[in-house]
Amino acid sequence: MRAVCWHGKQDVRVDTVPDPEIVQKGDVIVKVALTCICGSDLHLYNGYVPTMKKGDILGHEFVGEIVAAGPAVTRFRVGDRVIVPFPISCGACWYCKHELWSLCDNSNPNSWMMEHIYGDTGGGIFGYSHLYGGYAGGQAEYVRVPFADVGLEKIPDGIPYEQVVLLTDIMPTGYQAAVYCNINPGDTVAVWGCGPVGLLAMKSAKLLGAERVIGIDRFPDRLQMAHSQCQAEVLNYEEVDVAEQLQNMTGGRGPDSCIDAVGLEARGTGIEDVYDLVKQTLHLETDRASALRQLVKACRKGGTLSITGVYSGFIDKFPMGAIFAKGLTLRGGQAHVHKYLPHLVKLVAEQQIDPSSIITHRMSLEDAPEGYRTFVKKQDSCIKIALKPEHAAQKSEPASA
Amino acid sequence: METSTTEQGRAYRGQAHTRVNVGPAERKASLAGGAALALSGLWSVGRRNYLSGLAMIASGGMLLYRGQTGHCGLYEAIGVDTVHTQESGLRIEKVVTIGLPPHQVYEFWRRLENLPRFMKHLASVQVTGERTSHWKAVGPGGLSTEWDAEMMEDTPGQQISWHSVGSADIPNKGTVEFKEAPGNRGTEVRVIIDYYPPGGTAGRAAARIAHGLNAQQLEEDLKRLKQILEVGEETTARRTVE
Repeated sequence: MRAVCWHGKQDVRVDTVPDPEIVQKGDVIVKVALTCICGSDLHLYNGYVPTMKKGDILGHEFVGEIVAAGPAVTRFRVGDRVIVPFPISCGACWYCKHELWSLCDNSNPNSWMMEHIYGDTGGGIFGYSHLYGGYAGGQAEYVRVPFADVGLEKIPDGIPYEQVVLLTDIMPTGYQAAVYCNINPGDTVAVWGCGPVGLLAMKSAKLLGAERVIGIDRFPDRLQMAHSQCQAEVLNYEEVDVAEQLQNMTGGRGPDSCIDAVGLEARGTGIEDVYDLVKQTLHLETDRASALRQLVKACRKGGTLSITGVYSGFIDKFPMGAIFAKGLTLRGGQAHVHKYLPHLVKLVAEQQIDPSSIITHRMSLEDAPEGYRTFVKKQDSCIKIALKPEHAAQKSEPASA
Repeated sequence: METSTTEQGRAYRGQAHTRVNVGPAERKASLAGGAALALSGLWSVGRRNYLSGLAMIASGGMLLYRGQTGHCGLYEAIGVDTVHTQESGLRIEKVVTIGLPPHQVYEFWRRLENLPRFMKHLASVQVTGERTSHWKAVGPGGLSTEWDAEMMEDTPGQQISWHSVGSADIPNKGTVEFKEAPGNRGTEVRVIIDYYPPGGTAGRAAARIAHGLNAQQLEEDLKRLKQILEVGEETTARRTVE
């Protein structure tokens, strides 16, 4: 089969590799109908996530049809159309039983790596380095999916793949980011990053009752999308002092909750940005904290910081004093996708939400290298790229908004 | 009150015991070298070489501390212990929480034939009698060694202890404790294994096997045990059947 493989920093290629097989009783093989490039794939692309190996198959957002099922699979049959959550969860450990699905104890066969770095392990993730288990990803024609009975969700008849493919990761990720804000009537939620997760976090915040959402970015087309799709007020952090502007917009209080949908490759302005870039380049810090620092400064007293952007290691100059003085709450982590899937599928079926509205580019899987280049450079107003494994699929064409 | 005091005392002694991780010969060398380094450092500072002088005083002081206390932070960080390796064998201890009641975890372990399913260095364990068994281990490069073991203690649902008997290449003993975890979390399984790696040329192969056994391997073994008991099999990221 054909698959998108990682070969090194900014080097992905479409290779021919052996088809996956049923390895364990609870496995299914999914024929991928649609897969996406996620913003967090760009951290792999840019070489910021350790333990990638040449030939690793990328991708953790994919939907498709079951073409083979192991003997222990009871909830699904060959022919079922399914949504595959990006975290792999065993369903049997204490964390899975407490709906902390992405913190699964058993699904990461390389758990010792994370235990040594972080003190404990998270669950495995499709196509996301050997640190996260070394599972092959979904930017391919076929994928082996373990623990099928635990993770998968059937796609209701009549719903096209495009409307549910983002339910595998960024939609639940944005939704969880908003849930973590513990939104009350009248609340204002500010979201750093108007990429896919940021946009869906804004939509989710509105859905969960936020009165106002404010989107922060530096790309005018992204800010435009936040404004038109999410009815967000927008701030360009290269043009204004974000914390000061947010105070002005909220009666001097600051937003009730702040969502970080940026992560470790955050950009800031001025000397601070240079400081982080230099330190990260010299490996003196692994993650850049410009966005996080702004969140801390801007948030209202007693408010919540909801951190959904990916961080991998250590950051410098983290304003702990402000967190203490303002009594802030920090929440974050990988999305517990399984927990939100049934509800989100219902919302899509009832047409209360259509995540596909943020897909800007549709390509053939064969064009993935071009897709990564376009996405990483944010060219051509690129927000989200969906890849179709069929060779005959249409080439890149921007969606009509 | 009395019980808790005793427990505290025991915990403290346990801590003090693990803190000493530098062997006696090395401690003497540390004291001598540390003193020399600190003195030269003082001399350097006297001659206004502040930076190198202070650095020498600092490292000399660290060596003195290491010699004095027998504790080395660097050794601790990288898992080296020259006291327990050279004199009383190699001790490894790990604990894992498994979401099943103690008696179930105990029963799985008590069927000793199950051990090679999760302990990667074991090729097989054969039960040869009521309290005796025959063990085969494989090490790096396909080296193998065998020994007979005898069970010392067997308290159902709580604890199993064993030790090697006869002329084992790598004399060893071990204990596994099964304790109910708080809040319905299952069982805390604590394993303590002592190996006595042989010296001399005759024991070289066995020593290499023993060398391959370490705390990380035991930790991974226990993770596999947890997967087998909680999930039903060892989890894998493999894409194809080999």
